[in-house]
Amino acid sequence: MSEQFKQLIGGNIRQLAMVAVLIAEIILFQILTGGTVLSPQNLQNVISGNAYVLILAMGMVLVIIAGHIDLSVGSVAAVVGIVLAVLTTSMGLPWWVGVLGGLLVGVLIGLWHGFWVAIVGVPAFVVTLAGMLSFRGLNQYIGKSNSIPVPEEVRTLGAGYMNFLPPIETGNWIINSPTMLLAALGAAAVVVLKLRSRAKLVAAGASVPKAWVMWVQIVFASALLIGLGWVFATGRPGTSFPIPGLIVIVLFLCYNFLARNTPLGRGVYAVGGNRTAAALTGISVRKVNFFVMFNSSVLAAIAGMVFVGRSTASTPFDGNSWELDAIASVFIGGASVWGGIGTVGGTMVGALVMAFLNNGLQLLGAGADWTQMIKGLVLLLAVAFDVLSKVQGRPSIIGLLWKPKPKPEAEQATKEA
Amino acid sequence: MSVGNSQSLDHQPVNDDCQGSWHQHNPRKGQFTMRILKTITTIGVAGAMALTLAACGGNAGNAGNAGSDGASSGGSIENLKIGISLPQKTSENWVEADGFFNDTCTEQKLDCTLQFANGGVAEQQNQIDAMITSGVKVLIIGAIDGTSLGTQVEKAKDAGISVIAYDRLLLDTEAIDNYVAYDNFQVGVKQGEALLEGLAKIKGDGPYKIELVAGSNDDSNSSRFFNGAMSILQPKIDDGTLVVGSGQTQQSQAATQGWDPKNAQSRMDAILAQNYPGSEVPDGILSPNDTLARAVLTSVEQAGKEQPVVTGQDSEVESLKWIMQGKQYSTISKPTLPLVQNSIALAVKLASGEKDIKELNGIQVDEEQYNNNKKNVPSFLLEPIVATKDNAKDVYKDEPKKLEAVNSVG
Repeated sequence: MSEQFKQLIGGNIRQLAMVAVLIAEIILFQILTGGTVLSPQNLQNVISGNAYVLILAMGMVLVIIAGHIDLSVGSVAAVVGIVLAVLTTSMGLPWWVGVLGGLLVGVLIGLWHGFWVAIVGVPAFVVTLAGMLSFRGLNQYIGKSNSIPVPEEVRTLGAGYMNFLPPIETGNWIINSPTMLLAALGAAAVVVLKLRSRAKLVAAGASVPKAWVMWVQIVFASALLIGLGWVFATGRPGTSFPIPGLIVIVLFLCYNFLARNTPLGRGVYAVGGNRTAAALTGISVRKVNFFVMFNSSVLAAIAGMVFVGRSTASTPFDGNSWELDAIASVFIGGASVWGGIGTVGGTMVGALVMAFLNNGLQLLGAGADWTQMIKGLVLLLAVAFDVLSKVQGRPSIIGLLWKPKPKPEAEQATKEA
Repeated sequence: MSVGNSQSLDHQPVNDDCQGSWHQHNPRKGQFTMRILKTITTIGVAGAMALTLAACGGNAGNAGNAGSDGASSGGSIENLKIGISLPQKTSENWVEADGFFNDTCTEQKLDCTLQFANGGVAEQQNQIDAMITSGVKVLIIGAIDGTSLGTQVEKAKDAGISVIAYDRLLLDTEAIDNYVAYDNFQVGVKQGEALLEGLAKIKGDGPYKIELVAGSNDDSNSSRFFNGAMSILQPKIDDGTLVVGSGQTQQSQAATQGWDPKNAQSRMDAILAQNYPGSEVPDGILSPNDTLARAVLTSVEQAGKEQPVVTGQDSEVESLKWIMQGKQYSTISKPTLPLVQNSIALAVKLASGEKDIKELNGIQVDEEQYNNNKKNVPSFLLEPIVATKDNAKDVYKDEPKKLEAVNSVG
């Protein structure tokens, strides 16, 4: 029985640690708040309100895997936010010019950071510490420390809903059809991917779990997706799964693929694991370093624009200590402080653990004092748990969870290379 | 931050140079520094010379740095050295203060050094240390955290420098002369009154459901605002006219860490999700300032609910527009100019040796209200003004930028 259970949840019970923590946390707060956590309105709030952290963390995890750190993301996001607001509201240009302008600022800052880290060889900690100071100042210089509102279209990016299809109305329910479509697509993708990976294993002559195990997995995952879709779709009429959430999903799919399946992504792991060895195997360390720093600033730019969209204005407070939220998410998500280990998926789980913790405490009316103390403790315990589980030289719990199953030896080899 | 540091760094080599050449201790060191100075200022050697001469002149005037003989030679008010240390430049009133302080100093020919501590408490401590070293006669301090400047303020007192707390009180120290501010308890009182007035005017008869928002716990003004407002609201909560929907009536529960609007917005999101299901709405929200007022209004709007009556403070341009559009109910006007002018006037009085000042430009000293845990600080408190859609044009008639915002809507 226990063997079958192991197969059912994917082979190693410890893989699921942080996902289990997330689920337990949600269930705990669901009970304590009398059912508010999983209400449509609250889930929409959590997704819209934390989209910027999720986006920042995707850039941050690659930086940390490569063995660096980026302290500048909050200030970069703040500069981009104010540039967007000034271009659109103060100068009256169309919203898309503002968004392109904001992205351009992100690209330029990314090139700047990449240049100093990868070409000149100044440690990323110093380069981005300098960036954190300079770009905070630039934000105040451009905005004159004012709040400047952003146009309606940008607000849609930060807190809008999908209404490109008419809702389905049946009896008591008004169901947002784009959300259900999205959930159905997700469920279909699960089925296709599972069947394909099994077929590949069979073709390679590897041993596979029994077929019913796979089907239980498929049914469970699909049901979860459809169920979540249903919750998001049946909120207040006119609301759906939030657009910033959609942006996060698209970016997640891209970066998850990039980190796992592309030479560049594998290079990030190789460089973070052992720089010299990576260089000797022909990986351009400089290119990898340039990429992670550049990428982090570009994602910070996107995060900044999504954030000002949600708060409907760029304010001088934007970006304050965001880097800490992003870094906390990465480490809760199982990344190693020493580089070489970490996953995009784990980081998303880490960010959601913090997001739901924050949200649950706010729903319960805990003050800012308690919230901070508890968040600090959870960060410490989560990483301590991860460190303890690695004592015997095993890779990260969360790292294992998201690793492609067909080739565990290959990945292990890359890390140790 | 960068500005502050570069200024204070500029002073150091210049001072060394002057002392070196006067005392003839180490002429070579002086020449060396001079050469560096000249090399650095490639744009013009004359510029560097002028800078050095000006600094020497300044030092000669108040050479009381090391000895005690300089203290009595106060002399004329012209070129009186005043150090002005302000917190992070994160809201419009601090930006205005920057301009007004500079203008007033230029007008009265005072030698003012103004610095913002954008980098936080430690930076403010360093800036004040540098001001004391550079020989200011009066310090005007808008503290980031009123409890964290004790060491600097004591040091200033030992050096015979008068200390004025500007807008935010300095706590736990004897070494403070006066406090100049808008009466922040009164701000809270007026916010409470405005909330009740707005509720009666817009939401009809009670009882009303309200929510409370407080400022950051690390700002000593937060509790004054909150307690002032609760002095009006608590009796109404007790008699049932007001109901706090979430039950979060403690300041620590209502607090907004770092005055960050993101925190107020997500807290209000949670309150709406938890306590206002379906079509239920709060009728009013007490907000301590405009930034947080807009954050909670955004939260309510994004939840698709009817706009509540929301108070504010600071007369930020964006909020003035919202008030004229009927989205935000009220704000508090605390014009920065009178505050700056009164602070400078007080600084001049203190520098010319006046003690125990009872009256300043018609404002009587208040020796009761503000106790900083060590003593009752003699305070000059200016009266805040409530602004709503009805009286905004009148309140802001002397402030062009704000009047423009008021007139830009409807």
